[in-house]
Amino acid sequence: MIEVGAVPIVSVVTFLPLVGALVIAVIPRARVEEIRWTALGFALATWIVSLLLVVGFLPGRDTGPAMAFQYKEAVDWIPLFGIQYKVGVDGLSIALVVLTTTLSWISILASFSPIRERVKEYMISFLVLEVGMIGVFVALDLFLFYIFWEVVLVPMYLIIGIWGGANRIYATIKFVLYTLVGSLLMLVAILATAFSYQAATGSWAGAFDLEKLAGFGFAPTFQLFAFAAFALAFAIKVPMFPFHTWLPDAHVEAPTAGSVILAGVLLKLGGYGFIRFALPLFPKAAHDFAPLMIGLSVVAIIYGAIVALVQPDLKKLVAYSSVSHMGFVTIGIFVFTQQGLQGAILQMVNHGLITGALFLLVGVIYERTHDRTIAKMGGLGGPVPVFAATLGFFVFASAGLPGLAGFVGEFLVFVGTFAFSPWVAAIIAFVMVLGAAYLLWMTQRILFGEVTDFVRGLGDHLTDMRPVEILTLAPLGALTVAFGLFPGLVLDLVAGSVRAVLAAVDPGLAATIGR
Amino acid sequence: MTWSDLSVVAPLVAAIGLAALVLVADLAVPGRRALVLAIALLGLGGIAALVAWTGQTPGTAFGGTYRVDDLTTFLQLVFVGIIALTLLFGPDYLEPRGLPVAEFATILLFAMSGAMLVSAAADLLVLFLGLELMVIPGYLLAGYHKHDALSAEGAVKYFLLGSFSSAIFLFGLAFVWGLSGTTRIDGVADVLAGIAAGRTILSPGLAMGLALLTTGVAFKVAAVPFHYWTPDAYQGSPTPVTGYLSVGPKVGAFAVIMRLFVEALGPLREEWVIVFFVLAAVTMTLGNLVALTQDNVKRMLAYSSIAHTGYMLVGLTAYAEGQIQGLEGLLFYGAAYAVMNLGAFAVIGALQRRPGVTSRLETFAGLGRREPLLGALMVLFLLSLTGIPPTAGFFAKAYVIIAAVQGGGWLTVLAVIAVLNAAAAAFYYLRVIVYMYMREPQGEPAPVGHGGLMRTGLAVTAILTILLGLFPQPFLASVTSAAAAIGTALH
Repeated sequence: MIEVGAVPIVSVVTFLPLVGALVIAVIPRARVEEIRWTALGFALATWIVSLLLVVGFLPGRDTGPAMAFQYKEAVDWIPLFGIQYKVGVDGLSIALVVLTTTLSWISILASFSPIRERVKEYMISFLVLEVGMIGVFVALDLFLFYIFWEVVLVPMYLIIGIWGGANRIYATIKFVLYTLVGSLLMLVAILATAFSYQAATGSWAGAFDLEKLAGFGFAPTFQLFAFAAFALAFAIKVPMFPFHTWLPDAHVEAPTAGSVILAGVLLKLGGYGFIRFALPLFPKAAHDFAPLMIGLSVVAIIYGAIVALVQPDLKKLVAYSSVSHMGFVTIGIFVFTQQGLQGAILQMVNHGLITGALFLLVGVIYERTHDRTIAKMGGLGGPVPVFAATLGFFVFASAGLPGLAGFVGEFLVFVGTFAFSPWVAAIIAFVMVLGAAYLLWMTQRILFGEVTDFVRGLGDHLTDMRPVEILTLAPLGALTVAFGLFPGLVLDLVAGSVRAVLAAVDPGLAATIGR
Repeated sequence: MTWSDLSVVAPLVAAIGLAALVLVADLAVPGRRALVLAIALLGLGGIAALVAWTGQTPGTAFGGTYRVDDLTTFLQLVFVGIIALTLLFGPDYLEPRGLPVAEFATILLFAMSGAMLVSAAADLLVLFLGLELMVIPGYLLAGYHKHDALSAEGAVKYFLLGSFSSAIFLFGLAFVWGLSGTTRIDGVADVLAGIAAGRTILSPGLAMGLALLTTGVAFKVAAVPFHYWTPDAYQGSPTPVTGYLSVGPKVGAFAVIMRLFVEALGPLREEWVIVFFVLAAVTMTLGNLVALTQDNVKRMLAYSSIAHTGYMLVGLTAYAEGQIQGLEGLLFYGAAYAVMNLGAFAVIGALQRRPGVTSRLETFAGLGRREPLLGALMVLFLLSLTGIPPTAGFFAKAYVIIAAVQGGGWLTVLAVIAVLNAAAAAFYYLRVIVYMYMREPQGEPAPVGHGGLMRTGLAVTAILTILLGLFPQPFLASVTSAAAAIGTALH
């Protein structure tokens, strides 16, 4: 079965960064500038091609209840087991692919100045990482999905381990081992799922094909085990409480760009996995597990916020705020309502933009002070006004100020949860206030008050943001405003995906959703 | 013996002839290393062609004691490949230490002849003959560095435990022969099928034979708790020899298992499957746990090779539960393991070109900066050993796991044990990468060049490691037909 379109645009988006990595591999390592610009060039090209996906997608959007993928490409790969190279996108995929390509070029640009050692290996790792991330979002074959899922691991392992902070080796090995345990159990579940399909249909053809497997109706007991294995892999990636302990270490030790990608894209792999694979494949088990998942999400939301409140380290504070914010994503997914799922997807995109920006800002200040201790800083508003204003903007966005992107996602999750249980919704509302508390308190301590001796001692080293740094943050700021004022930009894109997922987990509910 | 017999056994005759030719060539024109290697490598190419050619027409020779089927062809080609790669990797390590290359090549070629004989054995005695011809050269090679105390110690341990296990194995064969009245493999299978159909409890004699044979092959594949010779033999041997020992005799021992347990003892599958289930679980778990604590890379890879034995036994267990994919997975795993493990040992050997360089973790410090290409290759081999896609090691693991989940029930448990082990193994494989890329060397070691043969061999193993992982389909046809050659007869 071969049905490749005129231009395999999805494959182009996926593998363009790999071409970049190969080009960089043949550039002599001494020519650092050429390596940097080549990497940026390929990342920008990938970004532009990914935007073409959006342009082409909107008019032909499918409005039926089933999963509707566009730009599909399918080529037999390992026919013995019915494994295909099959890729395609729907609104959800496109949203996350564009998020990935956007954050990738921003991260590469932001790495120009901080990364001075082994630039060649760094840029190759980053571009390979981009291939893996995009691949996860476009793969429609479970085997292919798993391969991309693991491909993400190796470059991130190197990025944290080689260019990270003092405790980087501990952090990176912890990151890899946590992820591997989850993903290898998922591999068993993927193979078992494919075999169940083969046993039922008598043929391996399509046994790894997501479109064939979704809604296949696996046996309830099998669903429980398989869902548990998938959920573990995704829960570790999100990360959900209590599997989150790798995250603060990895975030703190990773170089700035690594943190941006970790928070911006890698955590989304988990949320995407739930929506795209775990729910449609095992809807029965998803319902059975929902109370547990919601419970863990609530714990994560509260726990992440409280721990963030007491963090002395700026980067760790942002890391724990991610645990809290990603809790909104998982709760939105598992309440099985339209608003909840919309909110979860929106929250994923927004969190990617806002937390990515916050990590960039932490990187900006760290490059000047070589310190991230909140207590040492104070009164930065005076010496570095542009930085202060930018930080203030993204902090408000993260805290959920209406009119900025962070608000809409959390509000939709709140509404969706209210339909599920007012009590859980009440808890969420309370934590939204708590979230504002730790972020605003941190901002107050850093930006306002007396200028501390530490800051004064920096003298001329404390310069305001350079144009290139503003350039990395400007697009994120613009999108934060745009999605805050016009959330429909994202919601329209993912409407079909939301409908399809809800139809898979709850056919009755989907019928009530308009348009 | 007829001419038709000769055409069936031609590859084996050629292999032994080549071994003799290399020996004579070295005697006639001593010191011509290049000539010897050229003869050996060209000869291996010819033998590979001969194997492929005779493999097209399955047949038997010598009254049915020697049989060529698709499994024979597959295994023989794998062995020729293993020996060829070992010959490419050897000289860079042996020459600087003043160790002769020609004898190295000769001994390897004799070992290969033994392995080829095992692959084609249709008779228990031929099987044993092949097994001994395969392992005895291994004892010689382990002690190849005769002035090195570790090498001698490893060789003695290997020899003592090896001959001990051979004796146990032979004793087991005697029981099977005594109770079935034939040494012919298909004859044994017929008799045992009758026994298996007739009664539920094994006779004591047969149980004894089964136990002895299991012990014998468990020694040969280095399954826990019969693995104690492995770390010392592997650590002490010259590095290219270790590379060979970790794949050649191991894949050869699995060939014995296929001919003996799958074919001859196949009707008793339900009796031996539980033993191999436990062996698989214990072997991979213990191998990995002990590997975690090693700070010598050769010793670590020795324990990791024990763990890989465990993964391969998962495939065998799945087969015994009626999944032909288990056998296919085992064959694919064997080939993939041979390629990636030889590659990893080749990198160690390349680093040790200068005599005196140890195989401790510190040797690898900063390798990524000193020799970027060699470092990148080591990363590739280690990721493949870990089972990260898209490499040969990943697809091999996926294959045996597919077979296990198809078996269902407690085989799924075995699959889960296998993947948890793979995650634990990641820790020690990645630690080498930590040293290569995330630590700086203490002092700047003098750079070493690498010979052309070494470069060729590394390129071949690297390409195969990627190809087998990314595009396994062309290779799967030969794997499935090889498995079908012995699998279908029993189902």
